[in-house]
Amino acid sequence: MRKHAAVLLVTLASASTAAITVRAQTQAAASIKANAPAGWPINHTLVVLDPAHGGTEGGAVLGDHVAEKDITLAVASKLRAALSTNGFNVVSTRDAGGSDPLSTDQRAEIANRTHAAACIVLHATATGSGVHLYTSDLQAPNQDPDLTAGFVPIPWDAAQSGFVRQSADLAVSLSTALGKAHLPATLGQAPIRPLNNLMCPAVAIELSPLAAPGAAATPATDGNYQQQVVNALTVALRAWRDSPALLPVADASTGGQTSAQSKAIAAAEATGRAAAKVRTSPTPPPAQKGPQ
Amino acid sequence: MIPRYQRVLFWILSGAILLMALVLLRGCEQTREKLTRHRDETPLSAPVVTPSETVQLALASDTDGSITLVEREIALPSEKSARAHALLARLIAEYSYKNSAHPIESGPAVDDVFLIDLPLHSHSGAVGSDFSGELQVLTGQMAVVNLHEAFTDHHTSGIESETLTIKSIIGTLYANFPEIQHVRFLVDGRSRETLNGHADLLRTYAVVNTTNKPAQGVR
Ligand SMILES: [Zn+2]
Repeated sequence: MRKHAAVLLVTLASASTAAITVRAQTQAAASIKANAPAGWPINHTLVVLDPAHGGTEGGAVLGDHVAEKDITLAVASKLRAALSTNGFNVVSTRDAGGSDPLSTDQRAEIANRTHAAACIVLHATATGSGVHLYTSDLQAPNQDPDLTAGFVPIPWDAAQSGFVRQSADLAVSLSTALGKAHLPATLGQAPIRPLNNLMCPAVAIELSPLAAPGAAATPATDGNYQQQVVNALTVALRAWRDSPALLPVADASTGGQTSAQSKAIAAAEATGRAAAKVRTSPTPPPAQKGPQ
Repeated sequence: MIPRYQRVLFWILSGAILLMALVLLRGCEQTREKLTRHRDETPLSAPVVTPSETVQLALASDTDGSITLVEREIALPSEKSARAHALLARLIAEYSYKNSAHPIESGPAVDDVFLIDLPLHSHSGAVGSDFSGELQVLTGQMAVVNLHEAFTDHHTSGIESETLTIKSIIGTLYANFPEIQHVRFLVDGRSRETLNGHADLLRTYAVVNTTNKPAQGVR
């Protein structure tokens, strides 16, 4: 009886998940077309901002009934303004007045079409302290691609796997800049959507209250606190767009090809298999799930 | 002067009311009798002495985002899924205590825990169905933790808080049930996208060691 109930429940869950996966994969196929070929050209001045939540989904409640969705939007518009004046092109997945917000899958689709240098997912909460930076909990590919297999489609839920190292580098850069601005930042990995679906260096930022010694903590609703964070992020992103981390890595091959890389490939071409190794996109390993 | 037929009608109606009242009273008495008899006959469950045992809980702390293994002495049922249920219920209950490092509103959190052996085999009729998915590829035992919606709805909304709860559950399963290798979550028997806006509940989690601070006690 219990066993039957269990099987029924799992079937239900799997069926719905399968439906979601199938839909997501179709969307992924439409937006990213199988595996990223030899190089994944990165637009160094493009940043995607994802103000999380929206519409009826308000997220956390901060202070006096302020919805998280409004804070994320406020931070996003501040960041957008700061980045634009610094020569960035900014794509946002949600704007003010958008009554029907996009799903996390749809947001990832938008981001994946842009080949952005950074994808920043914005959250805010009333608990904890400081700024929390999260990257995907997928594992970086650690094996050579199977050269005989040809291009292998990237599973939607593992789209981020080729960018895990860059995302970690980006998170460290952001964290360092926040630290320099005296804003305590912590790094971590979290199982949150759409991090695993993003094909860009991606970091989720959660603003928690800013603790101050001998005074009340500053909530994430504070405009001044938000601006300080935005300024630090802008400084970090300005440095990031020229970062070597954005250049393609031989074993990750997720960045754009520069002339230096093209020369390296040309040189390696003579040695046959080595060239193939450099040019072929990695086969993503089976998704390593579970928070570490 | 009241006409005769009206007086007759009055007495007939009065009689009917009295009769109905009597029938109602009798009915009530009978029902009460039946219920009392039923209660008397209810057998008392045989007293079972469940010895308390040492278990390990992977407790989360919001202060430093840590997961620490601590020991607790509790009595657990012998059936495995009931054990897992009782253990997780105890884990979440720890968070509702005053001064909890990861406060969660008190109330029942875990409705049930089911244990399933993977891989799941698709039935012959389901040709072409993709439900197969990862559950037909993964091996080992999987726990399906069915949470109460009241618990998820009242859980603190935020990446840090929700992730810690998930890590805490996974770490506790890892410490006490070495044979459980995967875990999935349902809410009131249905799949739900997130715990309360953030932590992903649609994926299958690997049951791994999530502790990131030295244990208090064993391990
Ligand atoms: Zn949020």
